[in-house]
Amino acid sequence: MGRTGTLLRYGATRLGLAPLMLWLIASLVFLLLRVAPGDPVDAVLGSRAPAAVKAAMRTRLGLDQSLPDQYIDYLRGLLHGDLGQGLISQESVREIINRTLPASLELSGVALVVAALVGLGIGFSGIARPEGKLDLAGRLYGLGTYALPPFWVAMLLQLLFAVSLGWLPVGGRFPPSLVPPDGTGFYLLDSLLSLDMTALKGTLRHLVLPAGTLALLLSGTFTTALRLNLRRTLQGDYVEAARSRGLSERQVVLRHGLPNALLPVLTIAGITVASLIGGALLIEVTFSWPGIALRLQEAINQRDYPVVQGIVVVIAGLVVLVSVAVDLLVAALDPRIHY
Amino acid sequence: MTAAACAPVQRTDRITVAAAGKITSLDPAEASTVGALQVLSALGDPLYSLSEQGELEPRLASDHPRISPDGLTVTIPLRRGVQFHDGTPFDAEAMAFSLQRFLRIGSLSYVVGGRIAAVEAPAPHQLVLRLSRPSTSLSGLLTSLNLTPVSPRAYAKHHERFLHKRFVGTGPYRLTHFSEHQQRLEPFADYWGPAPRNTGLDLISLSNSTALFGALRSGEVDVLLSPSIDEDQRHALHLDAQAGALQEAVGPASEIGYITLLSRDEPLQQEALRQALALSLNRREISQRVSYGLRRPLYNLIPPGLTTETEAIWPDHDPSRARELLRGSGYCEGNSLSLPLTFRSNVPADRLLALTWQAQVKRDLADCLVLELDGMESTTIYRQLGEGTFKAVMLDWRGSYPDPEAYLTPLLSCDSADKSICLQGEAAISGSFWTSPGLQKALDESDRLKGSDRTEKLQWIQSRAAAGSAYIPVWLVAPRAWSSTKLAPPRFDSSGYLRLSELMRVRPNLGGS
Repeated sequence: MGRTGTLLRYGATRLGLAPLMLWLIASLVFLLLRVAPGDPVDAVLGSRAPAAVKAAMRTRLGLDQSLPDQYIDYLRGLLHGDLGQGLISQESVREIINRTLPASLELSGVALVVAALVGLGIGFSGIARPEGKLDLAGRLYGLGTYALPPFWVAMLLQLLFAVSLGWLPVGGRFPPSLVPPDGTGFYLLDSLLSLDMTALKGTLRHLVLPAGTLALLLSGTFTTALRLNLRRTLQGDYVEAARSRGLSERQVVLRHGLPNALLPVLTIAGITVASLIGGALLIEVTFSWPGIALRLQEAINQRDYPVVQGIVVVIAGLVVLVSVAVDLLVAALDPRIHY
Repeated sequence: MTAAACAPVQRTDRITVAAAGKITSLDPAEASTVGALQVLSALGDPLYSLSEQGELEPRLASDHPRISPDGLTVTIPLRRGVQFHDGTPFDAEAMAFSLQRFLRIGSLSYVVGGRIAAVEAPAPHQLVLRLSRPSTSLSGLLTSLNLTPVSPRAYAKHHERFLHKRFVGTGPYRLTHFSEHQQRLEPFADYWGPAPRNTGLDLISLSNSTALFGALRSGEVDVLLSPSIDEDQRHALHLDAQAGALQEAVGPASEIGYITLLSRDEPLQQEALRQALALSLNRREISQRVSYGLRRPLYNLIPPGLTTETEAIWPDHDPSRARELLRGSGYCEGNSLSLPLTFRSNVPADRLLALTWQAQVKRDLADCLVLELDGMESTTIYRQLGEGTFKAVMLDWRGSYPDPEAYLTPLLSCDSADKSICLQGEAAISGSFWTSPGLQKALDESDRLKGSDRTEKLQWIQSRAAAGSAYIPVWLVAPRAWSSTKLAPPRFDSSGYLRLSELMRVRPNLGGS
């Protein structure tokens, strides 16, 4: 079997195992939610509602069934792609995810691109003179941004740029005086597709602070990863061989060092994407970003079982897909990797 | 149409109003949060509202309710010429549809307490309520925004289920965009009453107090509503308002903060111990330390605005007397009572209250009493309250309508009791399990009495509750709103909702006469 065939078989095996993993996760979430104290009926009606009213609601929500029956119903729905209905809002979980996931993906996507550009740029800038001032600054930047507490940074930037200077909105995803553009739920894309420059400007203004904060926090990882990998790569035998062939240092770095140093960075980017799919909760909370992490947190507080289960399963599915895709991409780019 | 409705209105720009917490439902049969009810106050009209003097004032009703001599039939004449936002005429059938829908599916239908046995529409503009028992508090109930009528045509497919994301009522605004975090309201051209003073409202919710505070300070929002604003920030806004940098509106105080003591089990089965705890609490100090005095010390279960009797019923801070009672129960001098005090960890004011009370006890009664703090998320507390899990727990309550009954019944009502232990009923659900002989009878009677007789009965009930000390009222919270100075001063109505239709920008006076 050729290399492509091996890769495809590996991908198929990983994807084939995904349903088993999703079942395990779904079952765990189902069980943990029921074990946790708190009751969605209390969250809706308050503790003072008469027992009869509570019982009626429990019946309406299907919570009066035995746990195994609830579990079987849940799995049956899951197999048919039905994630159920939110207990509090009575809205389909699929709709809730369709509305909140694009918000989180847009935030994460923009943040990741900015983080990669800034982080790799800083990581690369010090390579000309190792242990020089630029290299030291890059090292400090990498460590510093990695160590910064996200909540603190987010609030600090919010107070500075939104409250004190008034340059950017404090929170939210779109100007309150405008109606968000219809379409995919990705406001940047929808604004562009509808050629609505006012909406685009509004979306960008709201995106700058949360995406910028997230990018700042993530960029250090890229800086450190590139810096370390590039230094190690440039000490490799094949790089020495390239130098001895008379190639300029610029050619050595760009042609031989950088491509190899970027491979582990790609893996790190994949892990980062996977972690961001679940949303950056602290960023979403601080900037009132109506993403999936904020919705998940609300659902947990309200004991809205179907919403929690649905969001967790979808996030888990996406994480599996992204990690398989990254593995395949790295394997395709690096002939040394075998599965 | 009223004269006010016909008067020319100078409308100003759109106004952005921010508050905490998303809105999941605008269905009056489901809405229970202050935020949702605030939006409903702009989109719909109740039958009655309260005047500033606390008198019943017709809104969709055209006159005061007529009550039959036996108190069991209430006839309400309805306003003519009112339309729903979808053009459907408002009449008795529409009102009956909405009331019956609320009674059938309403999440809060229990607040009616079985009082309304039937709703009839004998004439196009006459509504008749058949009651199961005479009820003085019914008039207060009729001001409830949960009874806001909805268009029978728009809700035809939702007469047995909720309609969360749309609202078709009769109010000064119609809803043009709804998401959980943002609602857009436009003036309703055919509104029967005074037209809004602005060209529309954008209501947004932000997820944390700092963002809300910053949004007002930076001018990003025009008006900020107070729920969920941290105490420090509330105080800072209050100071800004005093300095003239902002405007502050204060509504009628309708939320009470209190501590529930578990009287069913030891050690708080002993009344003397509960009384000692009540006496150990220095409300004035707590009010200052926690809220800079913005939460007023409370010595009654009924907010003062709802009763003519304003005398303090619960005793004030008296550590010497508390010590005597504790000593009489076998504590102090080497034997201190350790009491777990549970507070809602997601409510910052509760945590501060708990810490302050703990410090007061340590200062005044260190050898007699130790409070052990235990923070717990509110959903978990509510779930376990009726199971008698908490010896002492901090909670708050806002009556569903402005009447003493909406405060006393949810805490004191008891269906079945064994001496002073409530086995079944609101007192058990509330986690105190406390009752007293004759208390339930007095509660029932109080809803039949009027005037000074009722005031006297309510005072007796509260005196009994104070002696039992299963509840310790702590503070009274008034809703607040802050706005930029570019707006006319905001005002609350007598039910505690901001008058959104009155919000307007003021043009700077450029001189001249």
